[in-house]
Amino acid sequence: MWTFGRKIAAGFTLAFLLLLGIGGIAYRSLDLLANTSHTVTHTHEVLERIANLLSFLKDAETGQRGYVISGEDSYLEPYKSGVENLPKVIKELRELTADNQNQQKRLDQVEQLAAAKLAELKRTVELRRKTSFEETVKVIRTGEGKKYMDDMRSVLGQMEREERELLKQRAEEVETASSGAKTTIIFGTVLCLLVVTAAGFLITRSLSGQIGSAVRHVQSSSAELQSAANQQASGAKESATAMTEITTTISELLATSRQIAESAQRVAHVAEETSSAARTGDTTVQRSHDSVNSVKRQVDLIVTHMLDLGKKSQQIGGILEIINELSEQTNILAINATIEASGAGDAGKRFAVVADEIRKLADRVGGSTKEIRVLIEEIRAAVNTTVMATEGGSKAVDLGARQFVEVTAALKQITELLGTTTAAAREIELSTKQQATAVEQVNIAVSNVAKAAKETEVSSSQTLQTAGQLAGLSRELIRLIQATASA
Amino acid sequence: MTTISLISAKAAELRRVFDQARAVPSSTGVEVQTESLLAIRVARDPYAIRVSEISGISTDKKVVALPSPVPELLGVTGLRGAIVPVYSLAALLGYGQETGQVRWLVLCGTDEPFALAFSGFEGYLCVPQAELYSAEQKDVRRTFVTHAARATKMVRALVSIPMLREAIQERCRTSGVPKEQ
Repeated sequence: MWTFGRKIAAGFTLAFLLLLGIGGIAYRSLDLLANTSHTVTHTHEVLERIANLLSFLKDAETGQRGYVISGEDSYLEPYKSGVENLPKVIKELRELTADNQNQQKRLDQVEQLAAAKLAELKRTVELRRKTSFEETVKVIRTGEGKKYMDDMRSVLGQMEREERELLKQRAEEVETASSGAKTTIIFGTVLCLLVVTAAGFLITRSLSGQIGSAVRHVQSSSAELQSAANQQASGAKESATAMTEITTTISELLATSRQIAESAQRVAHVAEETSSAARTGDTTVQRSHDSVNSVKRQVDLIVTHMLDLGKKSQQIGGILEIINELSEQTNILAINATIEASGAGDAGKRFAVVADEIRKLADRVGGSTKEIRVLIEEIRAAVNTTVMATEGGSKAVDLGARQFVEVTAALKQITELLGTTTAAAREIELSTKQQATAVEQVNIAVSNVAKAAKETEVSSSQTLQTAGQLAGLSRELIRLIQATASA
Repeated sequence: MTTISLISAKAAELRRVFDQARAVPSSTGVEVQTESLLAIRVARDPYAIRVSEISGISTDKKVVALPSPVPELLGVTGLRGAIVPVYSLAALLGYGQETGQVRWLVLCGTDEPFALAFSGFEGYLCVPQAELYSAEQKDVRRTFVTHAARATKMVRALVSIPMLREAIQERCRTSGVPKEQ
């Protein structure tokens, strides 16, 4: 199937070929006319030179006659002008008729006749100058001069007739070429009109169908484009809103990144101070460890002394048991002595008193022994409690000493970790600054995107407007095509 | 005040009381009639024994058990060069045999001596006669108890040793066991 361009090109090519043919023929006719006109002009120039030649001869003869008659030199001006210009005219005629042998031959005769005439005029002028009028008239009356002029007129007449013949012939040629060109142009133009009309009709009929179908497609496409542009405008508006929100969020993110960078910087600073404090704490812990070891030695000594005290109090308890037993036995003996004294009657009264005092003393000793036992038991309990507490303290001190070692190791680890923390915080600070820079770039990019989204929104509106215009144009085009088809 | 100083003060007080007792005259002129008692505890109940009714007190004596139809008889022991029967005071008073160690013995009588064993001896009491009451007055109705004494803010039942002697003799006669020497 031929495309629009091919069809239109074929139609225009046919019209162009016809116009080219007509133009060629017209050009050829015009060229022929121009050449003919040029030759005609040339012929007119030749005729003008022939007339000039005859005129110059007449001027020379007129001057010769005036001088002869008047004998004044002022009448010789035409003569001199004719003598001076005649050779130039003959030379121009010879050049103008160089392609015409007949005219060249006649020019030879003209040149001879002109030379003879000028010689005759010169003789008569010289004669008039030397002699009188009458002498000069006698010479003129010989008719030599007239004969030269008649021959000259005869030859120039032949030349003029030939040139007139040539002019007539060329006029006929011009007429023939002109009529042929007119005929060619008229028929060619008519033929071209017919061809262009037929091609236009065929192309119009062909294109109206295809263009109509295409325009309908364009119309449906423009409707779809309108719908798509609507969606695009809506999407672009949503994108612009989202980009605005993203820009706000990124701004907040940027502020947060800056806060993080500042916090990381503060963390690094605090970590450095903490590392210094940890080193100081390490020294303090070392001193405390020495102090704890000293305390441990003192506590061990206290434990030893308390154990000795416990043993001593146990020994005191044993002695107290003996004392208690002795007081009990003394009490029993005193009671028995009292019984015996009561059995002895009056003689035993004083003994009974002594026995009673001994019994009372034994009672008091027993009571005191019980109190002292309670006290000793309290001392032993206190010693045991103290020993247990001291042993617990010793264990706590041991544990504390071990924990001090662990604390020292932990402080060293803390120092190392603080170094790592400082480095990490600095890395975080650096990374966060880079992140902030990146976020700034992203912010700029997002701002550009937001701007682009707004431009897209505007562009979508324009697209929507253009789609509407396109739909209108499609309807208009369909209307035009249908109108053309119906017409 | 520390414990050591307390003990030192207690020893000084004992010394002072003893010296003072020896320094005052033996008689103040006005004598108050008193009764010497031994404060004992039987099955956690407070009792008392008249010193005038016993002939001695001893402790931690080895008691050799003997087979006997009298359940209150714990065995025999050696006191003051003689072998005497030992009876459980708690069993005689109706409490049954005491479970704890019975380390105190009181010797009763001189012609036909016997010993009473009990677990708790609380001390020697010198009670005015005015503080002695009949058992009915203090509503102390127990066997072998005729009187009660109030001492150290406590009422104690007075065990009658003669009544116990008669009861032991009666039981020995009814059980067919010859009297112990």
